[in-house]
Amino acid sequence: MIARVADHCFWLGRHIERTESTARVLQVTGALALDAELPPVRCWHPVVIVAGQESDFIERYGAAALGDAELVQRYLVSDEDNPVSLRRSVAFARENARTIRDVVSLEVWQTINELHVFLGSEEAEAMYLDGRDGLYARVQRSTQLALGLLRSTMLHDAPLDYVWLGVLLERVSQTARLLDVEHHALLAEGAAHPVLETALWLSLLRGCSGSEAFMKRNRGKVTGAAVAAFLILEPRFPRSVRYCTASARDRLAAICAGDDLPGSRALARLAALERWLVDLSPETLHGGRVHEVLTYVVDEAHAACDAVMSELLGRGAREQGGRESTQPQSQSQTQMQK
Amino acid sequence: MISARTAPVSPPATRDLFGSYEPLPGAWDELFVGPGEARPGLRRPLGALLSTGADELASAQGLAERSLLNEGVTFSVYSDDRGSERIFPFCLVPRVISAADWRRIETGLEQRIRALHAFLDDVYGPQRIFTSPRVPAEVVLGSKHYLPQLRGVVPPHGVRIHIAGVDLIRGPDGAFRVLEDNLRTPSGVSYVMENRLVTKRVFPAKFAEARVRRVDHYPARLAELLRGVAPEDDGDPLVVVHTPGPFNSAYFEHSFLARTMGVELVEGPDLQVVGDHLFLRTTRGLRRVHVVYRRVDDAFLDPEVFRPDSMLGVPGLMRVWAAGNVTITNAPGNGVADDKAVCALVPEMVRFYLGEEPIIADVPTFICARDDDRQYVLEHLGELVVKAVDEAGGYGMLMGPQSTAAEREEFRRRILAEPRRYVAQHRVELSTCPTWDPARRVLAPRRVDLRPFILTGRDGSWVLPGGLTRVALREGSYVVNSSQGGGSKDTWVLQEGA
Repeated sequence: MIARVADHCFWLGRHIERTESTARVLQVTGALALDAELPPVRCWHPVVIVAGQESDFIERYGAAALGDAELVQRYLVSDEDNPVSLRRSVAFARENARTIRDVVSLEVWQTINELHVFLGSEEAEAMYLDGRDGLYARVQRSTQLALGLLRSTMLHDAPLDYVWLGVLLERVSQTARLLDVEHHALLAEGAAHPVLETALWLSLLRGCSGSEAFMKRNRGKVTGAAVAAFLILEPRFPRSVRYCTASARDRLAAICAGDDLPGSRALARLAALERWLVDLSPETLHGGRVHEVLTYVVDEAHAACDAVMSELLGRGAREQGGRESTQPQSQSQTQMQK
Repeated sequence: MISARTAPVSPPATRDLFGSYEPLPGAWDELFVGPGEARPGLRRPLGALLSTGADELASAQGLAERSLLNEGVTFSVYSDDRGSERIFPFCLVPRVISAADWRRIETGLEQRIRALHAFLDDVYGPQRIFTSPRVPAEVVLGSKHYLPQLRGVVPPHGVRIHIAGVDLIRGPDGAFRVLEDNLRTPSGVSYVMENRLVTKRVFPAKFAEARVRRVDHYPARLAELLRGVAPEDDGDPLVVVHTPGPFNSAYFEHSFLARTMGVELVEGPDLQVVGDHLFLRTTRGLRRVHVVYRRVDDAFLDPEVFRPDSMLGVPGLMRVWAAGNVTITNAPGNGVADDKAVCALVPEMVRFYLGEEPIIADVPTFICARDDDRQYVLEHLGELVVKAVDEAGGYGMLMGPQSTAAEREEFRRRILAEPRRYVAQHRVELSTCPTWDPARRVLAPRRVDLRPFILTGRDGSWVLPGGLTRVALREGSYVVNSSQGGGSKDTWVLQEGA
């Protein structure tokens, strides 16, 4: 497999996953805000942080605008200058897919391209103005369809391993950031009303597609410690930090099968992170410890990601070759960052 | 049952669309002989198509366009710095070619490619043809696409023009003529196949009734050809499609071909010369490459030999090719034969090398490098179409009959300054085809040309039954290039006995 092609596969996975996650967080936050128990800034500020765009947003609109639900949503849905808006994320996913159109299957390409065409259409704008829940739902369905089609229509071979590695590393960071931001906010507020606190934890679980799975594991008892333990350590939940780290390590191991092949540094790093998570005791996850753990997770995942890029994707060594100019400029900005 | 006797078979509205079509006086129409009167040979195969009503066509046309957009069947627009893409405008009303017309095109193209092969072998070899007084050496060797460094190199298996696209037009007498050859990196074949897919999807019954020859086996034929011209017969050769990259206007086609042939699509930096062989850099090390179907121009292929600033090519590639260790399709240097001035000499080539008369005539061309031709051109600028020999896409042209005095003066100056760069032809009244005009919801006659594709391997040539029909969508326009407001149509070659 050509390193340049592997690079596009990896970023295709990351942008699809990021799109899905952003759309879900917007939808869940929209529903949370409807209950009107919280000031708008408490609902929408975390969304901007999770997107990794807090400083850019404040620079452009000022800190007070973080409470402007309309502005935040416009910024995260269709802003052409925000590299992680739904519009741009899908455009990047689509550009990566177009570049390796000979590698991705026809079904995957059509799904992503249709979503891209849709987001630029009047129909999408009308759905945005008309309640927008339907718009967020449609973006999620299309990206979920793309993720399913990747598995059901492509050869289970190196290109798919790279796509999935991108998806999983993106997911590690999304889950970690969602939990970290919400956990931090709740901690800072001190003891909230228990009903409201439960609502916020449930909202967070929904933001990770995890509320039903959580209930099955915890029989309805919603506490901050239980939610944190679930989202970080649950070995069978496909969006937990531990599950995604282990799966990413499996993908990377498949890619690096063979002794003398590159990728061993990235693999060692991910494997160490996974072992560390396995050894982590759920009882220790309370108070400031959660933030500490998540910071470590995000930093380690970020380091593994850098190692993948330099060892396997030819980033760095070949940058003089002119390849950077064919990449969406802001891809480097969508790396995991806290 | 009772009403069947009294009511007309088709509702009045459906008769209107094709029934009210009026061909352009003075031009050959591909489907009609007179107002509302379809060509006799086409009435049966096109029965269902000709009864299509305006509403039906409008909705089918909308469906087709949406489908092309969703599938990303697009080309990039260079003038737009965001790298935006457009769909190639498509008209659902097909261009139809009878089996008899096609037989003649097929044999004529096969003959032409044979002559052009002989010419290229000669120009890069003994240069015998310059003994003919009708083929001046300075016109041929003065072509900027003639590459003297390649003289003496014989490509693997002797094949040079693996993939050709020859642009044909049809005059008022109904005869096909060659407008120009594309022997370097002809494009458009992906649209032939995509247009067919869309047509079958939205007009299944109308299409089936016409009994049209299939086009979808082109990638398989091409892949077989490419493997067949690999340098050595040592098992399974590695074939790649070499693209300048995603911002090239034809990138869709490059990835289409790689995908449908199941081969790797590579950019220059993915390839590397080590010693006398070419390799692909993979995440698991180097793999030997045997055949490069390049969609990169000669000048950018190898910075060691041609343009040193090229980022698209592979240093050392020409060395590997000259050593016979890699096949490059099409062979470097072919540009000398499709230079617009040299193109005018093909009838001479057919006579000189084959001792035959050309089956398909050329559009008579004045070569401004010849004194008497130039004199004539300068005196008749207002009647002629003047073209720069090294431009394509409808650029660098003077359409004499529609030009202003200032434009003619500009071209007079340019011709006198660089006569070798210009040729001229009388404007041919290109044939027309009924074409959907969405604004007026009628069919209007619009000019078309035809680019058939010819594959040539070790065992001779094969012509894809069909080809790209390009259509000038603007009323009165003669320019069919996509960059100049042209669109395309599906091309239906009817089966024998259909």
